[in-house]
Amino acid sequence: MAFVKAKGGGIFKLSISGQCPDWIPVNPNEHKNVWVYIEIEKGHMHEASIQLLGKAKEVAGKVNSKLVAIMIGNNLGSLLNEPGMYGADEVIYVEGQEFETYYAIIYGEVMVQLAMKYKPEAFLIAGTMRGRELAPYIANHLRTGITADLTMIEVDEKTKEIILIRPPFGAWQLAHIRTLRRRPVMGSVRPNVFPLPAKDTNRKAKITQEKAGELYEPGLELLEREEIKESEEKPIEKAEVIVSGGKGLGSKEGFEIIKELAEQLHGTYAGSRKAVDMGWIQHDRQVGQTGKTVRPNLYVAVAISGAAQHVFGIREAKRIIAINSDPNAPIFDNADYGVVGDYRQIIPELIKLIDEAKNAKK
Amino acid sequence: MGLNIILLFKYVPNTNTVNVDPNTGTLVREGVPSVVNPHDLDAAELALELREKYGGKITAMIMAPPNAMKGIEFLMGMGVDEGVLITDRAYGGADTLATSYVLAAGIRTIEHYDLIITGQETLDSSTAHIGAQLASWLKLPYVYYVTEASLNDGTLIVKRQLESYTEKYRVKLPALITVLMHSHQPRPVTLENKLRAVIKKPIKMLTNNDLKLNIMCTGLRGSPTVVAKTEFIAKIPRKKEILKDKSPQETAAWLLSKLKEEGFLN
Ligand SMILES: Cc1cc2nc3c(=O)[nH]c(=O)nc-3n(C[C@H](O)[C@H](O)[C@H](O)COP(=O)(O)OP(=O)(O)OC[C@H]3O[C@@H](n4cnc5c(N)ncnc54)[C@H](O)[C@@H]3O)c2cc1C
Ligand SMILES: Nc1ncnc2c1ncn2[C@@H]1O[C@H](COP(=O)(O)O)[C@@H](O)[C@H]1O
Repeated sequence: MAFVKAKGGGIFKLSISGQCPDWIPVNPNEHKNVWVYIEIEKGHMHEASIQLLGKAKEVAGKVNSKLVAIMIGNNLGSLLNEPGMYGADEVIYVEGQEFETYYAIIYGEVMVQLAMKYKPEAFLIAGTMRGRELAPYIANHLRTGITADLTMIEVDEKTKEIILIRPPFGAWQLAHIRTLRRRPVMGSVRPNVFPLPAKDTNRKAKITQEKAGELYEPGLELLEREEIKESEEKPIEKAEVIVSGGKGLGSKEGFEIIKELAEQLHGTYAGSRKAVDMGWIQHDRQVGQTGKTVRPNLYVAVAISGAAQHVFGIREAKRIIAINSDPNAPIFDNADYGVVGDYRQIIPELIKLIDEAKNAKK
Repeated sequence: MGLNIILLFKYVPNTNTVNVDPNTGTLVREGVPSVVNPHDLDAAELALELREKYGGKITAMIMAPPNAMKGIEFLMGMGVDEGVLITDRAYGGADTLATSYVLAAGIRTIEHYDLIITGQETLDSSTAHIGAQLASWLKLPYVYYVTEASLNDGTLIVKRQLESYTEKYRVKLPALITVLMHSHQPRPVTLENKLRAVIKKPIKMLTNNDLKLNIMCTGLRGSPTVVAKTEFIAKIPRKKEILKDKSPQETAAWLLSKLKEEGFLN
């Protein structure tokens, strides 16, 4: 993305006319409707795509246009009815045996063809790992801009322009990104930032079948797919209680007591980027701007300073408890309950008390 | 036969030594030294392992201001063979579309390549766009989040990792892969390799005199996206009940009472 200094915080005007002659000509005014690609996982709509439908519905309303869900696959069947229940006005789908296996190049090419035909104003894709792989490919074929991992979507009240918002380098700030001269406005959208919309089983979208034109040979072949064993370690996106550890734990062993407290609270463990950098936990357990956004009922931050990039990932947490030995740690500014002290002394005590409280109940 | 590999990397401010300005919340970048994007070191390690196994050559490539030469030298210190630095004022201010456009042109100047390897994403922009965009420009098959790669009958076999699956693909060459971050243990720079880099200086510079691109398609002019403005994130109101100067027992008891109050002990 091109960083241009904004004057006085207002919308930036760019004094560039014309555009790259190699690009397919685009007239932004001809582009209508908000598109969402529906990722299908194990025969269901991916939760991140459903969350995105909810937000995209709101955006479509603000720009007075329709919300269109794009589906590709083999034997989609009753799945085609689902986007409507979450707010889609229309479903456009392409079906066939050649789409049995997901390949970014094939699915991407189909969506490029659809977008050339229908000219959507915006095209949003859930930022799952697959979505992050797919979205820039489509955008590039359309020679349009794309914003990665966006966390907010706004519509300019006057111009009705869709503006995508993401955290830039310093995380207390958000970057408002405009797409000039090109359409669709494209973005991958961070999972878990928007809540699941309500489901209305009576609501129906108009369903349209499309045919794919000529497709590339993908050049790759899926040989094996294996589900990663879901150990008893729950993924952090799904957890209602998360106990999270930072650099201040001092060592990998520090996570033992973090896990024990997590277990006592029927939750799971996570950590800061420094904890990941030290190799104490896996990257898929990192919370924050370059890790995951979580929305638990309770987040316990242990020996985590509370850097902006970390706190960014816990904005949606209902309650935050902080345990830190430094009374000036910024995490206390972002906590509901904070205690100043050494986690090595406090947590074993707390585990003991929780244990006693549980036993007393029995 | 050997594999000719192009390794793409970025030279980024070292955020591990960066401090956040407590007033503005932005990073203090002045005087901060740059490093090779750490996630590109995973990519470099995989490239070096492939070369060790199958022979061939690794060329590190970057589009950046001239100081990124140091990044190429670092990678050569790890064992990379050659470098290409693409640099021109007309390429400044590029978004990922315009960046990948120039990189694709740079790659086309290389007569024969089998494999393009990039990192998963950069520390400073984390878009993970460049790989897919290059695959689009160059019409190559591509696979993201690769953890392992090997050759079989002239094709590449890769393993990759998604949120809840691992997958194995056979990929026709030439192809592009991006390497899962934290998946490799990058080897250290050696004195011997570093000396080789300094003495031989096999680093090529390309400017727009060489690439001859239409400057309407590069840099700021070729970028459809612009940051219109930045805005502070509104803080979420929190209760901020803080307890200090109490014994661990008292502290734990207070926390327990809060957990009970909030209904977290059911
Ligand atoms: C572009 C960018 C993206 C980033 N993305 C992320 C991200 O996604 N997630 C993330 O977490 N970070 C991210 N960071 C890094 C972030 O800026 C911080 O460096 C990081 O969060 C700090 O981790 P920490 O709190 O574990 O370590 P530190 O900041 O070192 O804090 C350790 C804390 O432990 C406390 N402590 C020490 N000993 C004890 C003890 N015995 N008992 C109790 N407390 C103790 C200390 O008081 C201190 O507050 C990012 C940075 C950048 C520049
Ligand atoms: N300016 C650049 N020059 C060369 N390679 C780059 C450049 N920017 C990004 N890359 C490569 O593309 C990957 C993804 O970067 P990004 O899309 O910025 O997250 C990086 O890990 C690098 O391997």
